Amino acid sequence: MTSTPTGGMSRRGLLKSAGLGAAALGTMPLLSACGGLKGSSSSAADVLRIGYVSPQTGPLASFAAADNFIVSTIQDAVAKGLTIGGKKRKFEIVVKDTQSDPNRATEVTRALINDGVDLIVGSSTPDTTNPVADQCEANGVPNVTTIAPWEAWFHGRNGKEGEGFKYTTLFFFGMEQFADCFFPMWDRIGVSNKNVAALWPNDTDANAFRNGLGPMMKSKGWNPIDGGAYEDGASDFTAQITKFKNSGAELFTCTPIPPDFQTFWKQAQQQGFHPKLATVAKVMLFPTEAEALGKLSNNIATDIWWSPQHPYKSVLDGTTAKQLADNYATKTGKQWTQALGSIYSLFEIAIQAFKDADDPKDKDEVAKNLREMKINCMSGDLDFTNGPEPGIAIQHPVGGQWRPGKKFPWDVVIVDNTPNPAVPVGGDLEPTNA
Amino acid sequence: MDWFNAVIQGLLLGGLYALFATGLSIMFGVMRVVNLAHGDLAVVASFLALSMVNATNAPLWVAVVITTPLFAVLGYLTQRILLQRSLRVGPMSTLVVTFGLSIVIQNVLLKIYSADTRTLGGGGFATGSFHLTNDIAIPYLSLATFVLAVVVIVAIQLFLSRTGLGRMLRASSDDPDTATLVGADSRHVYGIATAIAFGTVALAGIMMAMRSSFDPATGPSRLLFAFEAVVIGGLGSLWGTLLGGMVLGLTQSVGAQIDPALTILLGHLVFLAVLAFRPQGLLPGRTA
Repeated sequence: MTSTPTGGMSRRGLLKSAGLGAAALGTMPLLSACGGLKGSSSSAADVLRIGYVSPQTGPLASFAAADNFIVSTIQDAVAKGLTIGGKKRKFEIVVKDTQSDPNRATEVTRALINDGVDLIVGSSTPDTTNPVADQCEANGVPNVTTIAPWEAWFHGRNGKEGEGFKYTTLFFFGMEQFADCFFPMWDRIGVSNKNVAALWPNDTDANAFRNGLGPMMKSKGWNPIDGGAYEDGASDFTAQITKFKNSGAELFTCTPIPPDFQTFWKQAQQQGFHPKLATVAKVMLFPTEAEALGKLSNNIATDIWWSPQHPYKSVLDGTTAKQLADNYATKTGKQWTQALGSIYSLFEIAIQAFKDADDPKDKDEVAKNLREMKINCMSGDLDFTNGPEPGIAIQHPVGGQWRPGKKFPWDVVIVDNTPNPAVPVGGDLEPTNA
Repeated sequence: MDWFNAVIQGLLLGGLYALFATGLSIMFGVMRVVNLAHGDLAVVASFLALSMVNATNAPLWVAVVITTPLFAVLGYLTQRILLQRSLRVGPMSTLVVTFGLSIVIQNVLLKIYSADTRTLGGGGFATGSFHLTNDIAIPYLSLATFVLAVVVIVAIQLFLSRTGLGRMLRASSDDPDTATLVGADSRHVYGIATAIAFGTVALAGIMMAMRSSFDPATGPSRLLFAFEAVVIGGLGSLWGTLLGGMVLGLTQSVGAQIDPALTILLGHLVFLAVLAFRPQGLLPGRTA
């Protein structure tokens, strides 16, 4: 199925694709029973090849935990093929691992391009989305990525305002949506002062918050107490905790790397900083993080852009968000993560862009379809023509809090849907520390 | 009062650095081996303790009591089977072997445990504290780590200076050939040294896992702090390592109080200053 040519490939790349080939074997019998996706049985023009780049190993691997499941789910959904441009087309997905390294992301994307894929999708953090998109833009390959704040993706790649890019698109959200998600919860929880403790380290993500969310907070009357631009990987947060305590802040927000948050949150507990409400970004996205913190996870609030409760459906086969999460749990025994919906949608969008084309092999036409796409998919209503910049579709995350779950130890309860009223609220907003 | 608090928390943090650096210090002091897998070994200990706690629901101290000697045995075997061969070839070879070990450990851990972030739940012990004054809270965990570091280092010092095996260890460290001539089996002695080093790294790994979090990739970033503690204190001196850890912790904590952006940078600068102006370290040691 993976007809990756081996010539001109690094030994590592070869081993990697051999491994993935083996991983894909599980789905092979099914596929061949349905007529097969085998490249050999149909001519190259009948097979549309989608490259998928994500961090399957390394520190960002949590984002890619659902990759194998999604790829096989998508392959099942389009196993019969689709008639596009008057011809029956089959789909093939080629998966590449960035090892959580931006240089490696560039390398594997280039390998995919040399391999002649028709479209590349990629996911998770600017370390993946930016190098992947840069390669695609430079080589004229249609591309859509997700799970990276749009500012980091757009400005980080020197996008021209009002013009955008020709081949590369993104769906996710940015500072304004974080504000829309956090501010209503701050208003509702009821605090005695307007100070908000902000743990923002000195890295790309946190600086975007410092320079983006900070001014937005001030314009709404909130006063960010910046703990200072510390370096990631700090072992001690006494100085920050002291500053937060002295300010009397009852609200807390942050954008640290996940291990630092675990350290900070435990130390805050030890040293007596108990904010009434914690609304965190970038951390507590995955159940494993909540499990790691244990009891201290209770009622930490974060931005939720996808959950099984979101009233969304697949454009491919009508699978609901709930069903997708349940299937994932049944097949893998693991709890849903937000990345599940986002990565699923990458493929929905890719396939839609092909479907809308007269000639799906025409890269310019497919890229144009991506830029002009309006789709109601697993990630909700996405409109790539109506974002803050061309080629960006905006999602509206809602507020969720971590609470002890029924099926799994910790689960997200949607507590505030102000930014996206279509998502049903599952419980009341509760103080993180009563 | 904020400054006083920063000093106290910094010194306590220094205890953790010292405990973690002890193993590195011993292996360098005795065998001139710079163990690049040191940080990863701490992570292995964390995972091992986690698995034990998860599998048996035993209290954490049981996991500590089992993991530490287990690691000591592992250390002895590692030395005899893996490092001893490379020692004969030369210092570059051991460096490469430990580097390889580091990569292998990270990938094996990734395969077994996935990339998820974990921590060891210490319950009230890990998050509790007592108040010295209204503003200064001393976390139980930090204090326990500090005391543990001092106890471990004093115990190893006593072992080295008061016991026959300790004397052999020092002799082998000074001149392995002559020590062998007078009856010390340097391979066995080196094995003992590595066993001690591995035991301390297991302790440090578990304390770190309770304090913060870990995943298969956290090892190398931790190694740096241990390395700095050893160099600041003086290569091959355990008292120096204790002092070095505390200087590093104190510098980071006070630096953070000035400006959080300086936290890690100031620590590195002290390290650099020591390398430049006092390369033998604050308390240079001749023996291990």
